[in-house]
Amino acid sequence: MIFSTLEHILIHISFSVVSLGITIHLITLLVDEFVELYDSSEKGMITSFFCITGLLVTRWIYSGHLPLSNFYESLIFLSWILSIIHMVPYLKKQNYLSPITAPSTFFTQGFATSGLLTNMHQSGILVPALQSQWLMMHVSMMVLGYAALLCGSLLSVALIVITFRKVIRIIDNDKRANLNSFSIGGTPYITKKRNVLRNTSFSFLYSRNYYKVQLIQQLDHWGFRIIGIGFLFLTIGILSGAVWANEAWGSYWNWDPKETWAFITWTIFAIYFHIRVNKNGEGLNSAIIASIGFFLIWICYFGVNLLGIGLHSYGSFTLTSN
Amino acid sequence: MEVLMTPAGTLHQSPSRLHFLKPCHNFVNSTFKFKPQHLYTSRNRSRTQLPPPLTLINCKLKSSGEVMKQNASKKIELWNSAPPLSEEAEKNGGSGKEEDPVKAGSGSSAVSRSVKKLSRKVLSLLSNLPLAIGEMFVIAALMALGTVIDQGETPEYYFQNYPEESPSYGFITWRWVLALGFDHMFSSPVFLATLALLGASLMACTYTTQIPLVKVARRWKFMDSPEAVRKQDFSETLPQASVQDLGVILMGSGYEVFLKGPRLYAFKGLVGRYTPIGVHLAMLLIMVGATLSATGSFRGSVTVPQGLNFVVGDVLGPSGFLSFPTEAFSTEVHVNKFSMDYYESGEVSQFHTDLSLLNLDGKEVMRKTISVNDPLRYGGFTIYQTDWSISALQVVKDGEGPFNLPMAPLKVNGDKKLYGTILPVGSIDAPNVKGISMLARDLQSIVLYDQEGKFVGVRRPNSKLPIEIDGMKIIIEDAIGSSGLELKTDPGVPVVYSGFGALMLTTCISILSHAQIWALQDGTSLVIGGKSNRAKGEFGGQINRMLDQVPELVESSSSSVTKQSKDMVAAASFTDPSARPS
Repeated sequence: MIFSTLEHILIHISFSVVSLGITIHLITLLVDEFVELYDSSEKGMITSFFCITGLLVTRWIYSGHLPLSNFYESLIFLSWILSIIHMVPYLKKQNYLSPITAPSTFFTQGFATSGLLTNMHQSGILVPALQSQWLMMHVSMMVLGYAALLCGSLLSVALIVITFRKVIRIIDNDKRANLNSFSIGGTPYITKKRNVLRNTSFSFLYSRNYYKVQLIQQLDHWGFRIIGIGFLFLTIGILSGAVWANEAWGSYWNWDPKETWAFITWTIFAIYFHIRVNKNGEGLNSAIIASIGFFLIWICYFGVNLLGIGLHSYGSFTLTSN
Repeated sequence: MEVLMTPAGTLHQSPSRLHFLKPCHNFVNSTFKFKPQHLYTSRNRSRTQLPPPLTLINCKLKSSGEVMKQNASKKIELWNSAPPLSEEAEKNGGSGKEEDPVKAGSGSSAVSRSVKKLSRKVLSLLSNLPLAIGEMFVIAALMALGTVIDQGETPEYYFQNYPEESPSYGFITWRWVLALGFDHMFSSPVFLATLALLGASLMACTYTTQIPLVKVARRWKFMDSPEAVRKQDFSETLPQASVQDLGVILMGSGYEVFLKGPRLYAFKGLVGRYTPIGVHLAMLLIMVGATLSATGSFRGSVTVPQGLNFVVGDVLGPSGFLSFPTEAFSTEVHVNKFSMDYYESGEVSQFHTDLSLLNLDGKEVMRKTISVNDPLRYGGFTIYQTDWSISALQVVKDGEGPFNLPMAPLKVNGDKKLYGTILPVGSIDAPNVKGISMLARDLQSIVLYDQEGKFVGVRRPNSKLPIEIDGMKIIIEDAIGSSGLELKTDPGVPVVYSGFGALMLTTCISILSHAQIWALQDGTSLVIGGKSNRAKGEFGGQINRMLDQVPELVESSSSSVTKQSKDMVAAASFTDPSARPS
């Protein structure tokens, strides 16, 4: 009882802190010069991280197994990973990800705590097939992979949006310092309007478009790196799942819907890497593939569970509206 | 100077080159002799064998650059994955795709030539990247379709659910589904053919594109003009710096450094260039293993009540033409005990089966209690615990018995199991047999109902607590479970697992990027250029950090003084005279 109350308190604190943080983020987007506010939103993310950590630990102690056994728990875990990604100093320095990770944390937590999943909040029992050391390896790697791939493909979505938008406004004071890369030092960002879409490779000639191209290149590059890491985790996750399946279900591959969709996701991101091999394909084409990947991850992570079919059905749930 | 930078391996030259290389060693060493050197242990080591002065002159007569080059290439051959130096690299291997993989023999007949031509065409067609991408798309789409269409149903099911008048999702009709074998997508000819095609593409691409690409990456050359160096993705010019200092700093950051006069080449993470090949080979290995699994395995499942036996070979059925039974198939399995664990809430937490394996002579060769996630492996086959059911109730009625009442599974909506049996009351021959119903969800408790179907009570097996129903005293002695076992042999597993291992390893390594740096001493200034194949964003920052450490030369002469430290004095001072055109 105490545990569940504690859980309740922690999730609510975390959620309200994150939503506050998002609001502050939005304010800093509109009004440039509030550095203190920006700092406070960063502190909010850290607070929220500790709350989710506390929540997961409480759940772990309370249920006696790793809190990864149903969809609600994996959503919480996903938002935990996203907040970790948000805080990794190496990525933070680049500052492309924090506008993506913070809202993602917010939305996953919001979804997890929303009324839709109330019947899953109780930590359930572990069915026989889940009682294995592989649970930790497989599920954590998969969720880690999902989180990184979601971030990476969102960067690609951002790239597409920026490429196809006629008016770009680059805001956020903080980004300025980070965006001027090593080759151009200290040039500040300017708000710029583009009426004509130009071929990116030639637009270097146009100084107004230069920053846009820079931004696109940086987004492309960071999207690629993060998808690379996510792909690695996805690979490890799928393979450890296969090894586990060979212990528990009697075959390393069963063409279970969840497995199949994870494999489809894997294939799509493999295509992403192959398109990038081709020099002309860098940028837009690969970004389109990555955004397809974004939807596939959600089908794999959420859609298959919603249907509740196949061997992975312990993750399934029904949406209740109350 | 090259020896200085890469101390490993120089002493292990091949005998044929030894006489030639030796003076050059000595030359390098001898130049060191006159300089202050307390910095690098490697240098001190190489100084131990001092040369006669004559060889020094000898070597100087040779163009020192050429000697260095020989030395460098020699050294690299000893180094496993380092690039061999070849100046003509660009000429013959610049574009991997054009490289002819099938070299026509000089005296071959027209037929064999045309065959080779054809095979070359097929190869180049298969290694076409857009084709491979298309294949992956098709496979992804087929797999998605396979999860959308219900698999493995009877034709009637498809007639009903995918009628031609109103195709589901707009295009799926039963005619399509059945004609293309999409009712069993993952073994349908279309899907397997696409996979095979992808496999062929993988092989062709590895052979015709990737291996030549690595060869190109392994070749390198010094850059002679500042313009060429500046053309790299990253470039920088340091006004007062020496190339030697840069070399030392690059070495300190884990680069392999090669130095010839004013020119420097350094690389790191060449292994990253090999990973695409590794990933492809791992995928092929997994495909081969999966094929082996599909054609050479046996499977079967059996539900055995506690206390009974079965022979492994009777249960297993072959899956393909490569399935050959082994001796171990004559093993007999005896189910000693089936038991279940429960949570406090009463739900099943785990089930165990105690198995004994008996050989032909009836001798026990192995005994193990298996459970879900803990299978038994013996002689190439594996026994998994997958399921359970209740086979019988042992009931004593009014002191008679015990009777074994077989339990039957009752279909109730929901995934919970329910088993039931009936104890007939009165004459069995009567047209309307009535009896006491007994229901059980698991082995813990039995629910009893009387002849009218009214609830009477709950009893635990083994409790020996009698229950009175319609004047009868009934004791439930025991509930006998049966264990659902799955058996298989799979010769593909070791292959697939090694493929998994290779895939994980190569994907991990592929995060590494291959970084290359060129530098050229241009007067007193140093031109630096570099490129990286993956970590393009971080690469610039890393180089900048390293360049910050390069000491600035206050006065450019052979005895230059640096601001930074006494150590750097040493590093800067033993410069090759040719490195500094005054």
